[in-house]
Amino acid sequence: MALLVESIRDYAVFLLDSQGRVRSWNSGAQIIKGYRANEIIGQHISTFYTPEERDRGRPAQLLGIAERDGRVEDEGWRVRKDGSRFWADVVITALRGPDGELLGFVKVTRDLTERLRAQGERLRLAHAEEAIRLRDEFLSIASHELRTPLTALQLQLESLEEHTSGAEPRMAGKVAGAVRSTQRLGVLIDSLLDVSRIATGRLDLRIEPLELGATTAHLLDSLRDAARKVGSTLTLYADGPLEGQWDRVRIDQLLMNLVANAIKYGAGSPIDVTLRREGDEAVIDVRDRGPGIAPEDMRRIFERFERATSVRNYGGFGLGLYVVREIARAHGGSIQVENSADGGARFTARLPVAPPTAKEST
Amino acid sequence: MTDHRVLVVEDDPTIREVLVEVLGEHGYDAIGACNGREALDALAASSDRPCVILLDLMMPVMDGRSFREQQLRIPDLSDIPVIVISAHLDHTVANDLHAAAYLRKPVKLAEVLRSVRTYCDPT
Repeated sequence: MALLVESIRDYAVFLLDSQGRVRSWNSGAQIIKGYRANEIIGQHISTFYTPEERDRGRPAQLLGIAERDGRVEDEGWRVRKDGSRFWADVVITALRGPDGELLGFVKVTRDLTERLRAQGERLRLAHAEEAIRLRDEFLSIASHELRTPLTALQLQLESLEEHTSGAEPRMAGKVAGAVRSTQRLGVLIDSLLDVSRIATGRLDLRIEPLELGATTAHLLDSLRDAARKVGSTLTLYADGPLEGQWDRVRIDQLLMNLVANAIKYGAGSPIDVTLRREGDEAVIDVRDRGPGIAPEDMRRIFERFERATSVRNYGGFGLGLYVVREIARAHGGSIQVENSADGGARFTARLPVAPPTAKEST
Repeated sequence: MTDHRVLVVEDDPTIREVLVEVLGEHGYDAIGACNGREALDALAASSDRPCVILLDLMMPVMDGRSFREQQLRIPDLSDIPVIVISAHLDHTVANDLHAAAYLRKPVKLAEVLRSVRTYCDPT
């Protein structure tokens, strides 16, 4: 029996006499508490307790309960030989002789510090997950709450626009301007919500089969009016269908931001969009023939709230290219910019045709 | 059954009213309902079947999803096409609900009219 107890290393198992003094010591006790047998035998149980617990009379109290009830279990901080503390699970069992007289106690102690730390870790993780869930919920509610009145406003203005289309030009112009502003507001709300999602690494993708040529053609059609207003033309070059696995909404957004950027900064020059396949990648090339991008701005235009030109020249948050980069990255792809030799900026997005294994990333 | 009745299920009164009004101006017989429950009541109360239903998703009392589930269980109503109009980012919700189309808020009036025209003839 003594041999068995001695061999237990994960538990401190030792005997106390009826006064609470240590009578035996095993290797587990030495490992957990740090004392060798000859250092501790004869010492009182209170040696293992913190000064606060000792002052409160906790050791005697526990022995009293064990004597009365036969057994007591306790969890709390205990002190090692070197003064360090560990979180212990303690069971004290009373030993009685044939006539019921108290012979002493068996004390079994386990070190649960690691488990406590892991629990703390789990708790912190749970809190972090809860924070993300709350943020997602907030974004979802904010999105709904902002979009609903915006939809009401936009529909009313568009309805008004129908009625004023034949009216006095100045009035029709003002209504058309108001419609454009609400549409712009919608885009800005989307951008802000996207950035909040990206900032916490939660740009969820809905991957599905997509043909890039038709998607791009459709998008360019929707931007042709805006391009015409600044004097730009939009031309699509594609060899044939370009199939892949992507998130339709996000790819639309990536194309939209790149082309809108070219319309905004291309200074009325022709804009070419070229689609091609290179190995396992789809390559989207958006090129204008405007002033191009200054070398010192090249690196920072993909950062949040950065714009190469000053705020006074152009409106917006400067989030478009940042969102483009994050969408490309989430798909396992990349975005690059360079100035063409013959002038103008050239943005090149590369997207693997097969999706990344993870559902989302940034 | 008429070829030009449109049921607009939307809890926001301004959106509902402007859609009903504009659809009316474009020759449709549009009626509004504030939530899924009201929409089911309206469908039960009238023998004029809509040719399309415009459906918001987040609504009090009965949301768009529950409405659609109920509608699909009623044989006389299950084949009326539904166009989901929602602020929800995820367009795959339209597939889940077997919706004919999904329009995301803020939606353009022209888009609504174009979608409705696919299923209904104006008078």
